[in-house]
Amino acid sequence: MDKKRHYYPPKLADRFLEFYCVPERLEQIQGDAYEIFYLDLEEKGLTYARLRFIFHVFSFFKWSNIGFSKFMHQRNNTGVMIRSYFKIGWRNILKQKGTTFISVFGLSCAVGCCIVAYLFIANIWFKGLNQPNKDELYQLVYTAEEADGLVTYGTVAQPISELIPNNLNQVKDHTRIMMEFPLLIQNNESFYQRTLYVDPSYMDMFKYRMEYGYPGALREADQVILTHQLSEKLFGDKHPIGQELSLVVDGEEKLFKVGGVLEDLKDMDMFNFDLLVNFESHPGAANDASLKDAWSKELWTFIQVEEGADISRIESDLGEITKIQNQVDPENPYVKMGLIAYPDIIYNVGKIEKGVRDFLGIGPQILLGTIGLFILLLAVFNYINLSVLMASKRLKEIGVRKVIGSKRSQLIFQFLSENLLVCFFAIFLGCMMAGFIFLPGFNDIASKNLQIDLFRDKNIWIFLGALLLAVTLITGLYPASYLSSFKPISILKGNQKIGSKSVFTSVLLSFQFTLAIISMVAAIAFVQTNYINANRDWGYSSADKIIVNVPDSKDYVPLRNKLSALSSVVEVSGSQDYVGNWITEKEVEFGDEKYSINFLNAESNYPELLDLELKQGRMFNSDLITDTQESLLVNQTFLDQFGLVFPLDQTVKIDSANYHVIGVVEDFHTEFFKNAIEPMAISASPDSVFNYLTLKMNPGSAEGSMDAVKKIWHETVPMGLFEGKLQTEVFEREIADANGVSKLISFSATLSVILALLGLFGLVSLNMTAHIKDYCVRKVFGADIGDLSKKLLKRYLIIWGIAALIGGIFSIYFISSFLDSFFAFNSGVGIIPIGFALVILLIVIIGTVSSQIWKVIKANPAVILKSE
Amino acid sequence: MKGYHLGELEELVLLIVGILNQEAYGVSVAEEIKSQTGRKVNISAIHTVLNRLEEKGFLKSHMGGATEERGGRRKRLFSLSASGRAAINEVKLVRNRLYDQLPPLALDFSNG
Repeated sequence: MDKKRHYYPPKLADRFLEFYCVPERLEQIQGDAYEIFYLDLEEKGLTYARLRFIFHVFSFFKWSNIGFSKFMHQRNNTGVMIRSYFKIGWRNILKQKGTTFISVFGLSCAVGCCIVAYLFIANIWFKGLNQPNKDELYQLVYTAEEADGLVTYGTVAQPISELIPNNLNQVKDHTRIMMEFPLLIQNNESFYQRTLYVDPSYMDMFKYRMEYGYPGALREADQVILTHQLSEKLFGDKHPIGQELSLVVDGEEKLFKVGGVLEDLKDMDMFNFDLLVNFESHPGAANDASLKDAWSKELWTFIQVEEGADISRIESDLGEITKIQNQVDPENPYVKMGLIAYPDIIYNVGKIEKGVRDFLGIGPQILLGTIGLFILLLAVFNYINLSVLMASKRLKEIGVRKVIGSKRSQLIFQFLSENLLVCFFAIFLGCMMAGFIFLPGFNDIASKNLQIDLFRDKNIWIFLGALLLAVTLITGLYPASYLSSFKPISILKGNQKIGSKSVFTSVLLSFQFTLAIISMVAAIAFVQTNYINANRDWGYSSADKIIVNVPDSKDYVPLRNKLSALSSVVEVSGSQDYVGNWITEKEVEFGDEKYSINFLNAESNYPELLDLELKQGRMFNSDLITDTQESLLVNQTFLDQFGLVFPLDQTVKIDSANYHVIGVVEDFHTEFFKNAIEPMAISASPDSVFNYLTLKMNPGSAEGSMDAVKKIWHETVPMGLFEGKLQTEVFEREIADANGVSKLISFSATLSVILALLGLFGLVSLNMTAHIKDYCVRKVFGADIGDLSKKLLKRYLIIWGIAALIGGIFSIYFISSFLDSFFAFNSGVGIIPIGFALVILLIVIIGTVSSQIWKVIKANPAVILKSE
Repeated sequence: MKGYHLGELEELVLLIVGILNQEAYGVSVAEEIKSQTGRKVNISAIHTVLNRLEEKGFLKSHMGGATEERGGRRKRLFSLSASGRAAINEVKLVRNRLYDQLPPLALDFSNG
């Protein structure tokens, strides 16, 4: 008989029996089966008994015994049961307003961050996929043999699209697409705008919702279609249809009428453009261009195939076109032409040159994804910790329910349904937060146009649903299965202790602290870097200088003369590029070796005008003819990188001309601190024509003279966009970018500290409520504040120590590589960021714990110990 | 013979239930059959027969006698009803009548 206590019939078979048997026969059948099982167990052993039990269960599986009682029974009650689960859950939530607030607030912040991160990433990967014809659209590409192997290009020769109707079957439509930045003039204002020159069939292949006008407007060669944004920028509240604007291409001005306006694209279209123009109105499309010229021009070509078309056949038909192309233009032979499905374009970024999309921006995606995940983890851990602890108040409920006969699965369902309620609220609030607080802020920082589009974007619903499910399960499964595993007898006896000191809680807490430390270190290091860079010496004097662009070479001389005549201008110098912007790269040769350097061509007074600091040698002397023909100034990096010493004993060769290095200047920042300083050479040219003019102004007059300069510029240059700026402002956009990122990281660090704080506060205060009698007894026996706080603080300080160690090591490795990827010049992760982060966290911990100790100090032991 | 259709196993079970008198349920019937006749009958077959006999009205049953071996579940205890008893008698009468008509075996040489 002893065996009975240890052995049971096989569970699965038993369940199966319970599952199928009609209820009125179940007791009798199951009882008999059990009885035989124990008889067999005594006579023949366990295995035999189990096998026979299984055999019996199957032999009872007869029509008269089958009723699927459990199944039928449950179906009748599920509605009521689920309703009561949620009712109990709702009451519990209301009962614990404080902790519920902490959980919901934390989770909704996290959900908000995740939504922003998701939208940002989805915006990159799902861009353009809302086109209804997306499965029928293909882009033509070709592969060519190059010096370094086969290269695939996303563009094909312009006349190829004319061959499509005759050579390809099953193709419904095709369009050429060419992107240009012509100057747009409207109402005496000019802008550079992204313009797509397309065939009218473009509007049939790609569908857009129109705000005004109709998609067919492009069939008229003199009509354009604007995006919502551009129309608002140009015409404001005026009705845009029929308004006039002109575009300047290759110096030719052409008048257009607005034929339509697209609804807001919300940044979700495959192509980035501001206006669509009929391809025929582009000067390059004119038929008088020679055949050769037309073939050497390449552009994007898209086709729309008929439904169910055989793609492999079309691809083989492309062979014909390849042949024709190679006959007409034998200098650029195509190896092969191919098709890329429209939805696959995004996956071919990097594999295709000159494609529609050429930039994925993995870095920001990882950054945002990590931030979202960090915050979500913090909030989830808070919730897990708190819900386990909160359940200590519900132990009796669990015990009673178990005694009355609820199964473990039912208890788990109860807890999960409460979780579902909380998570549902959190996601709802998170959407609101993302929509009204996070997204506007983020769009501002990142100059994006992200929106939560619940009506049209079905992916966001999938995302939110998956998030709800994942968060509910992650936060719910551990507490639910832990709490429901208690034995009712020990709960009701009062033996069951819920471990507020459990290892699990401590692990989660140290993880939270670690995350908080890492994000704080990132933020502090970033802000520190920004601060240092803001005060960094640029290597030259940027004050009192204005840079002016010269769009047309024929305007150069008059413009230079007129600007020199201005009273506040001290000196004028022309340059091919300007310091503070991207500079032409050239290959330089010494002897046999070749290197790539930045090469700045300028007037001979340019280095002096910029106040570059001379280190060795001399500056250019405009009176010496050799200086304007075969002399170079180089920067220090030039010497360091190539291991040279001034004076050089050899000449350097650039574009097959020999140069002498006559002087070395200190390094200066031609590009933002994001990039390292490149080796650079400056050459002086005699009175040639340059792209930019740099004006040295009287001290303090630069900003004030901007208007006068702009006026002169417009008087001299009839058509063009004035892009003058102060030399001090050349890095303005990069600085704004860096500040944006720094704001983003600071925000997430603040959020993660707040979440860690809330979680800690919840834990400590629940702990305190549970043990207040304990502390009061200690107080009665004479424990002073020191003893009490030591007892409370000790554990959290140990966790802080562990988190500090892990977080510190992680930050040193990851945050410094993160900084390196953003700035070539950064402060590194030193003692300041780590120290600050640790101290802030310590203050937060001590503050939270002391607020609870204060509660004990204020408490009157008599009242607390008396009450029961 | 009118109305009393009893199969071979049914008849056996009916008799055993009568013998076990108030203690007849699935397992005990199976055990009793095994010890009395040496036949091993599957428990599910016995259940089927017991239920069918109850449907025919030869047996009546009530729930009772929970034991530890059964995990606290009650037994369905069967006993003979009046018509069950009548059926046994009837079957026995028919048997005996038929038996009596059997010719004597070895001693009769008259046809030999």
